[in-house]
Amino acid sequence: MGKVSLIFFKKDCMGCHSCEVACKQEHGLGVGPRLVRVREAAPDFTPIYCHHCANAPCREACPVEAISRNSQGIVLIDRERCIGCKACLEACPFGAMQFADDQERAVKCDMCLDRQKEGQGPACAAICPTGCIFWGDSQALAARLDS
Amino acid sequence: MGEVQKIRTACRNCHGGCGVIAHVQDGRVIKVEGDPASPISYGTLCSKGLAITQLAYHPDRVLHPLKKVNGQWERVSWDEALETVATKFRQVMDEYGPEHIVVGQGTGRDYESHLYRFANQLGTPNVLTAGHMCYVSRVASTLITLGNLPICDYRGEPQCIVLWGCNPQWTNPDEYKGVDFWKAYQKGAKLIVIDPRQGFTAKKADLWLQLRPGTDAALAMGFHSVIIEEELYDQDFVANHIHGWEEFKERVRDYPLDKVEEITWVDRDLIREAARLYATTKPACIHWGVPTEQTNNCTDCTRIMAGLMAATGNLDAPGGNVLYVNPPTRTVAEFARHRDLTPETRGKRLGGDQYKLGARVAFITPKVAWESILTGKPYELKAGLLCGTNPVSTRANAREAYGALKKLDFLAVIDFFLTPTAELADIFLPAATWLETNHVADNWKRHGFVVARQKCVEIGECWQDHKIFQELGKRLGQQWWNTVEDSLDYLLEPAGLTWEQFKEKGYLQGKMVYHKYRDKGFSTPTGKVELFSTTLERWGFDPLPKYTELPESPYSTPEVAKDYPYILNAGLRTPTFFHSANRMIPWLREIRPDPLVEIHPETAKKEGIADGQWVWIESPRGRIKERVKLNAGIDPRVVVAEHGWWFPEIKDPGHGWDIANVNILTDNSHATMDPAMGATNLRVCLCRISPVQE
Repeated sequence: MGKVSLIFFKKDCMGCHSCEVACKQEHGLGVGPRLVRVREAAPDFTPIYCHHCANAPCREACPVEAISRNSQGIVLIDRERCIGCKACLEACPFGAMQFADDQERAVKCDMCLDRQKEGQGPACAAICPTGCIFWGDSQALAARLDS
Repeated sequence: MGEVQKIRTACRNCHGGCGVIAHVQDGRVIKVEGDPASPISYGTLCSKGLAITQLAYHPDRVLHPLKKVNGQWERVSWDEALETVATKFRQVMDEYGPEHIVVGQGTGRDYESHLYRFANQLGTPNVLTAGHMCYVSRVASTLITLGNLPICDYRGEPQCIVLWGCNPQWTNPDEYKGVDFWKAYQKGAKLIVIDPRQGFTAKKADLWLQLRPGTDAALAMGFHSVIIEEELYDQDFVANHIHGWEEFKERVRDYPLDKVEEITWVDRDLIREAARLYATTKPACIHWGVPTEQTNNCTDCTRIMAGLMAATGNLDAPGGNVLYVNPPTRTVAEFARHRDLTPETRGKRLGGDQYKLGARVAFITPKVAWESILTGKPYELKAGLLCGTNPVSTRANAREAYGALKKLDFLAVIDFFLTPTAELADIFLPAATWLETNHVADNWKRHGFVVARQKCVEIGECWQDHKIFQELGKRLGQQWWNTVEDSLDYLLEPAGLTWEQFKEKGYLQGKMVYHKYRDKGFSTPTGKVELFSTTLERWGFDPLPKYTELPESPYSTPEVAKDYPYILNAGLRTPTFFHSANRMIPWLREIRPDPLVEIHPETAKKEGIADGQWVWIESPRGRIKERVKLNAGIDPRVVVAEHGWWFPEIKDPGHGWDIANVNILTDNSHATMDPAMGATNLRVCLCRISPVQE
């Protein structure tokens, strides 16, 4: 697969938070880090999530080069290398970078790489009742934007 | 680590029944996901269902029976726990009679069939449920009006949808998940949303009618007024299938739009536009929610809205509001053996003489239970068995509920956790979650399906509710089966399936037939839709529906409004909690850590309140505190507060039941209830707000 994107179409987000719990379950996360989060100001709901930026500020900020972007365009963090300095949390313009206190490491969305290996999309996209979470390659994204 | 087994089952964290695939490894559920093959949820699942592993394996969950000895909980065996309950019940029955035992439930975990079978064989007519103001009341009102509950037929592709006092995208769907609504909406259906608060669907709507909370019945009369004045009704249907159309038309004359605007605060032109859109777009359906039932207008509001479905010819029409045909399994009513109760026993139902419509569907309103315990009138309840219910949080006038349950001689509770209600009990019986349950699920609903909920694991010594009723019933000489699965075989017998066979199939769907009334009429005394109810007339109630002003409002009690100037819209739902459940689930509580009260920014300014501040909310009954969230999508005269809050992290036995409990503020006096149903008015009262001084 070529480059993939994860996009939340905000106008159809109804603030149900299913994506948040699906993500926590998938990644085995407890209270604290929220790799996806929906802010509520009814009737508006604003999803906060990793955009996997091309020139990712988190990657640029990391002093130990623990953050990289793979061939699919997914920005990943190497937890072995991470020193827990939180520079990436400061750098992320979306507030998407998170910190796991129990591990003293930064954690972030990996677009559910393990699920992708089994031919499944990210857990958040799979569960969304309104289908407002898009995941796919540039062709699929173009089709979705057209529709 | 063993292999991961994937088991197909059905959720029960709310009323949903959504399809789930549970991943089981070494006897433990490690993960759940939505089942794309589910005919009712299509692979979606909400935050509550997704968090089930944190509920099932919660460290505070009670995994064995408990008995209170000298005020302390002690672990006991099932044998001792059940024998303690059976002995007490036998003693009460011998000394006073079975009607002195109250059996109760909350919203229910699909065990209505078993709970009622237990109560009916016990011989008590006193079954205390949420039904007086939630769903069952709608069933009762539509039963006498047109024979059954009409459901929005999303599968029939409605072209206009009215979401009336409900938010299926967020909460308890009964027949439907939000996803059905969403699919129909995305196909281009027009959308009318009737809600005091601008939520997601109001933003999406073609028309949003922001009514004064609790005035739904008046607004529905306004719709009728337009439909009659402009002759937008279905001439054939009203002529041939409505009983009392002329009398009803006469009643509707009492509701000209200027008067309806005054009552509801909705602009008359907007009401006209909405009524026209609903009446002239075919087919059109109304998806209704509990706020239409939770006031003194409960019965009439349901009847007026059913009247809209009928008058516009949308009743039992594809894409309208239909009477679904269920698969041929044994009904809850037959399984429950309602006929076991003799007329003499039924005559002893508390409040039965007064709340005749509630009695018709076999429940009592909580008020009469609390009165019986606290005053001994007309006779005193001596023992109780409550299953999956937390009335000290969820019933009106919570302080009275708390006092009554505390005073009750003997109480047994079936639940997952030691809730504030369970802490008042003498015996605690640990219930299984839906992951630990076999059942023909959704069998009480009216959406045309039953789904297989199958056991994935067993946890501790927990029993599914059905087994608890069965085993306790057997000790009291009742007729049951050897196993729960045997009782499921009995439920499934008319479909020609055993439980094992049904489990493999996963679900059954009834064969839908529309327009059934054309051949058979409606199941009412006249065979027609009774907008003039012969049943209510026979019972001495007004046979025609009307709007009655709320018992406490700026209009009915202006003297109270001087001190309590805001209208409290009590019971804002959240997507992460189901009534008083889930506050101990880490993933869910992180999303919503505090009880919220929404106020308009102008109101905040006027009262000197900042966003995020804790405030006192006070009514003539008491005060509570919640955290403020500003919302410009509500009327500045209205305050919208969440319900169901208690604090499992507070370890004393009260668990903070009265800190943020919105039902401390609500009233349950007889004068404030629906006269035929006994529905408590726990949606709307007056309040004032002020900042909590830190």
